[in-house]
Amino acid sequence: MRAALLLAALGLPMMVLAGSSDLVAEGERWWTQSPDPANPVACATCHWDPAATRGWAASFPKWKPLRPPDARVMTLFQANAEAVTRHYRLCDPRRAAAAITAYLATQGAGVPLSPGISAGQPVFAERLQALAASVKRGRALFARRCDACHRAGEAARALTAYPHVVDGRVESLEEFVERHRGEEPLAWDSQATADLIAYLAEERSRCC
Amino acid sequence: MLLKTFVTGFTLWSVVLGLAEAGEARTVITGTVKSKGGQPLPGLALLEKGEIHNNVWDRGVLVDPSGRFAIELPEGGQYGLHVYSSGYIYSPQAVRVETGKTLEVTVTLVPEPTRANDPVLKRAGFFPWEARQGKLTYVKLDVSDPNDDLGPQVMAFNAATGRVYAMDPPRKVRNLKANFPQGVYQLEVDTLQAPISPRDWHFVVADHQCNTTDILSFPHEPKPPRVIR
Repeated sequence: MRAALLLAALGLPMMVLAGSSDLVAEGERWWTQSPDPANPVACATCHWDPAATRGWAASFPKWKPLRPPDARVMTLFQANAEAVTRHYRLCDPRRAAAAITAYLATQGAGVPLSPGISAGQPVFAERLQALAASVKRGRALFARRCDACHRAGEAARALTAYPHVVDGRVESLEEFVERHRGEEPLAWDSQATADLIAYLAEERSRCC
Repeated sequence: MLLKTFVTGFTLWSVVLGLAEAGEARTVITGTVKSKGGQPLPGLALLEKGEIHNNVWDRGVLVDPSGRFAIELPEGGQYGLHVYSSGYIYSPQAVRVETGKTLEVTVTLVPEPTRANDPVLKRAGFFPWEARQGKLTYVKLDVSDPNDDLGPQVMAFNAATGRVYAMDPPRKVRNLKANFPQGVYQLEVDTLQAPISPRDWHFVVADHQCNTTDILSFPHEPKPPRVIR
């Protein structure tokens, strides 16, 4: 319901609202219940405190300290996909990742965007430097691939419209970027996609 | 006269140095470990130096029965703090401590809902290398994992020295993200200065899904793991 109100405030179409509400509920199920009855550890088993997770969505994109060589700047959707692949062992993590992203975004409604910084968590200069480098790469990528048709400010405002459900199909921003026309596809889970979204998030935190 | 001046000067200088050292604030991470219900938990607190999950293990301490620990550090900086208690999923967190300051953390652990997916510590042993007259001792740990997704966190901790080690896998592994093999992990310890004392050694393993074994302490006889309600 809160997601619906948030999206309504952003002026998004009802088709998206209805789907997103369901998506948030689905995300809560993924968050609280493991799909594997033999291994019942779910996201909420360790991340049980809503006060601690409320700021997560606003803190992305950010450096995820995964084991090398996987540590890098990620979007929330990419980080969720990595987590459900590892913990839930899903072959295709995108649906669960999109639903959890919607759920965490709803939990964090009203928290100001602060890419790279989580409220109550220490700030690490090296991680912020990595994010700044990601934003720089994303700016160059946007100029090369998107600038001809889109203004960065407008694209940045669309960030919170994802993930959403359109005609029964769940789509994350990362998947939209992947299937969007361009000289070569950007994979949804790639660093380049994270860079592009890091740049747009930076624009959004500056402008909106 | 010259000698007297020198001795007096040297003594004063030593006193000043000593006072300066005594006044120098220590760099420490202290903490409390508890369950969600507030029960204090004993266990291990182990540190990686630098970015968390980089597998550069540094030092650690035992967490006492009241759930308290304190790790003294040579310098401030970024560390990865990993806390373990038998029956609970281990807790990792990135911390930053400033030189000369004390960082206080609270760690809340949640119990493993089932132990069926936990790695299993079958046995541990200490083997002096005879070819070098016992100057080297191999510490060995036999590990299996029902999910076959062991990671690099096959940990040995020497409470006497405070040193923490990620043990070497039985065969080479591509990278830290890969599934590590089951089998006998080992560690070479230089025992030239003092023989190894098994009483000081503690072992714990967590796999890629964070399933965590009980802590295996002296006499290193594994017990069946139990689920904490």
